[in-house]
Amino acid sequence: MVDLSVKICGKELKNPVIPASGTFGFGREFDEIYDISVLGGVATKGLTLLPRLGNPVPRIAESSGVILNAVGLQNPGVEHFIEEDLGWLRSKTKVFANVAGSTLADYAEICKKLNDIVDFIELNISCPNVRQGGMAFGVRPESVEEVTRAAKENCPSTPLIVKLSPNVESIAENARAAERGGADGISLVNTFTGMVIDIERRRPVLANNTGGVSGAGIKPIAVRMVYEAARAVSIPVIGMGGIACAEDAVEFLMAGATAVEVGTQNFTDALACPKIIQGLEEWCGRHGVSRVSDLIGTVKMH
Amino acid sequence: MREIVATVLENKRIAENVYSLTFATEGEVKVRPGQFCMLGVRGFPLRRPFAVCKAENDRITVGYQIKGRGTKTLSAYQAGDKLSALLPLGNGFYVSEKEKKIAIVGGGAGIFPLISVIRAYAESKEIHSYMGFRNKAAVCMQYEMQRGELTIATDDGSLGYRGTAVQAFMEDIGALRPDVILSCGPTPMLRALKKAVEGRNIPTYVSLEERMGCGVGACLVCVCEKSDGSRARVCRDGPVFDINDVEL
Repeated sequence: MVDLSVKICGKELKNPVIPASGTFGFGREFDEIYDISVLGGVATKGLTLLPRLGNPVPRIAESSGVILNAVGLQNPGVEHFIEEDLGWLRSKTKVFANVAGSTLADYAEICKKLNDIVDFIELNISCPNVRQGGMAFGVRPESVEEVTRAAKENCPSTPLIVKLSPNVESIAENARAAERGGADGISLVNTFTGMVIDIERRRPVLANNTGGVSGAGIKPIAVRMVYEAARAVSIPVIGMGGIACAEDAVEFLMAGATAVEVGTQNFTDALACPKIIQGLEEWCGRHGVSRVSDLIGTVKMH
Repeated sequence: MREIVATVLENKRIAENVYSLTFATEGEVKVRPGQFCMLGVRGFPLRRPFAVCKAENDRITVGYQIKGRGTKTLSAYQAGDKLSALLPLGNGFYVSEKEKKIAIVGGGAGIFPLISVIRAYAESKEIHSYMGFRNKAAVCMQYEMQRGELTIATDDGSLGYRGTAVQAFMEDIGALRPDVILSCGPTPMLRALKKAVEGRNIPTYVSLEERMGCGVGACLVCVCEKSDGSRARVCRDGPVFDINDVEL
């Protein structure tokens, strides 16, 4: 028997696999396909203080090995989530409530509402698809630290995971900034800003013109960034970016991640997460690894 | 709603750039008329939504038009090839007990979900279909459509009525007096239908198309605008909507 459990900020996840924010709603739809209580946790759709309608369509595009999305944080608002979905989701698995805002006050207010009633708060300071979607806070290290501090002051009893943008000068620098601001953990990478052009119409495919690039094609960049960030901080790291199978997840663990998030692959295969969990167990079994947590940060550099 | 590995039984060209794909599922899948499936094409991260034309026991047939690289790749699939499939999805068309006479208005690739309606109700209801195509070479699945009364319209008049399906339908609507109208096709066609039937008080339902992500309602990629200003998910709240509830 392989022990798949991992600990993040003192809380135990039954395994390190978490569907990534924005690809899984609040879990209800996927729960009709499989029992989502098999998951280590669920990162919710990004929550804002007030409901948001999001961007015009098309909101999704594809390129070789990747997809682009520009949903624009459509969500029913944090209150609605607390009243309608949180109880149910928490009865299933650990909840990573993904939080987005456009001002420091927004972040503070949402964190205050979620403090103590969710398992983790994942602070989205890196949404590339909304002008005021937090991206402004995610680029410069000073503002990463500032928004982290404002959030942490309002969620003293819930671990705060700051989700970092890869569209920055130094990922290590921003990881350290989050740690200085009081983050209990970091997660990365959010999507890379990209564009796809419909050459017949000479217009971008996405109505938003640009969107966030995700999927298998970004994985090597994400692994490198997770490695750099994990070395820069002493708080736990959740790694993501193009994970499509158990072997991909193992790479992220070896690079220094304590857990992983799976996004785009949920679209390619609705059973992606349970398959990765099963695959992790098999991989560990084949390699004589008795605890998946023994893999964390074990990559040996040349 | 199930995630399965399907086996291609047949994938054949049925008109210019149009194919019909039949695959076997693992065990029976119950599909209502107007529901769809997401099919994965090797090498493409996004699955594509396809309306189900025919569902018999463990055999599902979809029709599709080659639109881009994904459908081009799919058109080369042969019997025995595997593809990932998520199904059945969406709400589908609902026809009530008291609606005896159904008018169907379809255009282009929009005929495919309507074929499942014709097949489902051909025995129990009176069906009058108006199906529009660019020209005679684009006409397909005529046999299936002929299970009810059929009027074919072509833009160039090379077969049947010269003009659009909506125009052909509007010539008959007064005498026909359908209990319900079901439609699917390009947005300009749906818009023309909405305008044409306005004020006639005939329940009219349309199946919409949008680029999709998950196909199950989780990712909020495929939204449409509702008349009340809210947004609905085409994959989950639709693809079939009351024509008066959506902005076209």
